[in-house]
Amino acid sequence: MTYQDTYATGRRTGPSAPYGGRPAAPVPPGVPRRGPGGRRALSAVFWLGLVAAVLPWWLATPPGSLADTTGLLTAAGRITGLVAGYLLLVQVLMMSRLGALERRLGGERISRAHRDVGATLLVAVLAHLALLVVGYARMEKNSILGQVGALLTHYEDMVSAFVAAGIMVAVGLTAVRGVRRRLPYELWHHLHLTSYLALLLGYGHQFSNGAQLYEPGPVRTGWIAAYLLVVAALVWGRLIVPLRFNLRHRLRVADVVAESPDTISIYLTGHRLNQIDLLGGQYFRWRFLNPGCWWQSHPFSLSAAGNGRWLRLTVKVVGGHTAELRDLRPGTRVWAQGPSGTFTAAHRTRERALLIAGGSGIAPLRAMLEELPPGAALIYRARTPADVLLHNELDWLAQARHTSVWYVVGSRDDPGPRQVMSPEGLRRLVPDLTRRDVYLCGPGGLVEEAVRALRRAGVPRRQIHLATFEL
Amino acid sequence: MRRALLAITGLAAGTTALVVLKGAPGTSQAAQDRPVAEAPVVPGGSAAPGPAPGGVTPSARPGASAKPSAKAGASRAPGTRTSATTRVTTRATTAAPRTTTSAPKVTTRTVTGPVVSYRYGSLQVRITLSGSRIVDATGLGMPLDGQSGLRSDDVQARYSGSSGEVVAKQSANLNTVSGATYTSTAYKQSLQAALDKA
Repeated sequence: MTYQDTYATGRRTGPSAPYGGRPAAPVPPGVPRRGPGGRRALSAVFWLGLVAAVLPWWLATPPGSLADTTGLLTAAGRITGLVAGYLLLVQVLMMSRLGALERRLGGERISRAHRDVGATLLVAVLAHLALLVVGYARMEKNSILGQVGALLTHYEDMVSAFVAAGIMVAVGLTAVRGVRRRLPYELWHHLHLTSYLALLLGYGHQFSNGAQLYEPGPVRTGWIAAYLLVVAALVWGRLIVPLRFNLRHRLRVADVVAESPDTISIYLTGHRLNQIDLLGGQYFRWRFLNPGCWWQSHPFSLSAAGNGRWLRLTVKVVGGHTAELRDLRPGTRVWAQGPSGTFTAAHRTRERALLIAGGSGIAPLRAMLEELPPGAALIYRARTPADVLLHNELDWLAQARHTSVWYVVGSRDDPGPRQVMSPEGLRRLVPDLTRRDVYLCGPGGLVEEAVRALRRAGVPRRQIHLATFEL
Repeated sequence: MRRALLAITGLAAGTTALVVLKGAPGTSQAAQDRPVAEAPVVPGGSAAPGPAPGGVTPSARPGASAKPSAKAGASRAPGTRTSATTRVTTRATTAAPRTTTSAPKVTTRTVTGPVVSYRYGSLQVRITLSGSRIVDATGLGMPLDGQSGLRSDDVQARYSGSSGEVVAKQSANLNTVSGATYTSTAYKQSLQAALDKA
């Protein structure tokens, strides 16, 4: 099947010799599905928690007490304070790398939620601060500045609370995309880590001054318990689980292979690799323990499904860190955290799938292909023929798993790719498009463009799965 | 970003909705007035029709007559303050029949002092008298949260109640609560005025 007028070279029937001496994997009936149920449960828990956070205010406030402006201001300040306290806990929990969250939500969704919740949290904190300062100033007939001074001097834990608010403003501002691009990654990262400090510094004033929290009782106990749970999740997800994983599997670099001039594959070996609960398409956060790289952790997808003997990640060399990976020596120890992500065959909603890869975005899709039921389709966008990675493997998989593969080579503005990446073009390649799950992985621009085309072609949103490069 | 904007809008709308719903006068006023409205009936029927309703009704809603700041203080007096109100009135009602049977001349009444503004808010003191003896006292409209709330609680705990310092000393000559000088002073001031009135 060749598509006219494009650079798509049609389905390849590659060499029949399996890559790396591996026999073509027997076709498993498909990995067990992990539908969206877990995700829905988590979002239900989130909303219930939000209600539970504000409920004490609702119950403790007598009706009719909000007849004047001062009462309204302080009440609104109190509500936003409770919401902010809750959202801060949610924010930290989402960053705890808890397996239950990462398996159900996936990194992509977590980071998107983290950004949205973060923006809301910042606004809630500022609203809380402004409303209460103005409210208290009116009540005590103070000037605004005088009231801030009074809060800082006469109230317990307010200095640290103001510092916490300052940290949150700083973190929030540097998270704005335009600002963040201009900052060195390390500065941004370290500033972001100080938000744990905000959790600590903001803690005190809630209990010494909070209208709903300073009195001993179920509400106060509940909040303290929530704090403890979040800290426990943090310790568990960030320390204990990775420690156990790495002590158990002891990963080491086995080999570094160049796939193209600017892409490398890193092969890893370790103990008990067959016991890792791994799905094709998932990623780990990697830390290569050599002198130059040990303090940097980066998420890279595995580019081969679990086989019990080795793991492989395929990385495009773009920055300083990835350039150093090129010089990794066999035997280097590797600290890994994972596997995470919902970009897997198990999360599909339909039987068949269409995969769209851009450049080195092929890595997770390549791994996933091994676990998808036969009949999948793959569209591989690459700028030049040299950018087509893992060519032989894809051809071998295409044959072994009855997958149609199209290579669409050329720049974004070439007529061929433009035609293919349009609703009509996609529909012509894959007529049953709307009845398939679509997995997209590649640079942000390509993913956005493809999502637009898919939506216009009538693919429901829940059938589209994304993995963008941008964190 | 669109979702973040949506969430922020939701936050603003939610907060406003909560405050407006809570502050809606229809449900609230009825709920708060009920104990007050019922209160005068019993003492009025038993012994003193004049002073009891006159004393109780304005005092139960200090904000209505007082400055907005006092009202704000009262507004943050949720469960505790309302229960204080009910506690006093019910005590008055239960005490009333008993006094009528044993000593018909002794009446129970409440007297409320003026609103006194001080550094951390404002308050007024209401005392319950049985004859000329103070049997109970309570501070109304005191700040409920923050450090001023804690100070208020200290003062309230030391002075108020049927076993508090006011009842023990039967005068406004109270010991200042340490760490709560302003609140103590305001309390004594309002109490003295209430005693003068009684």
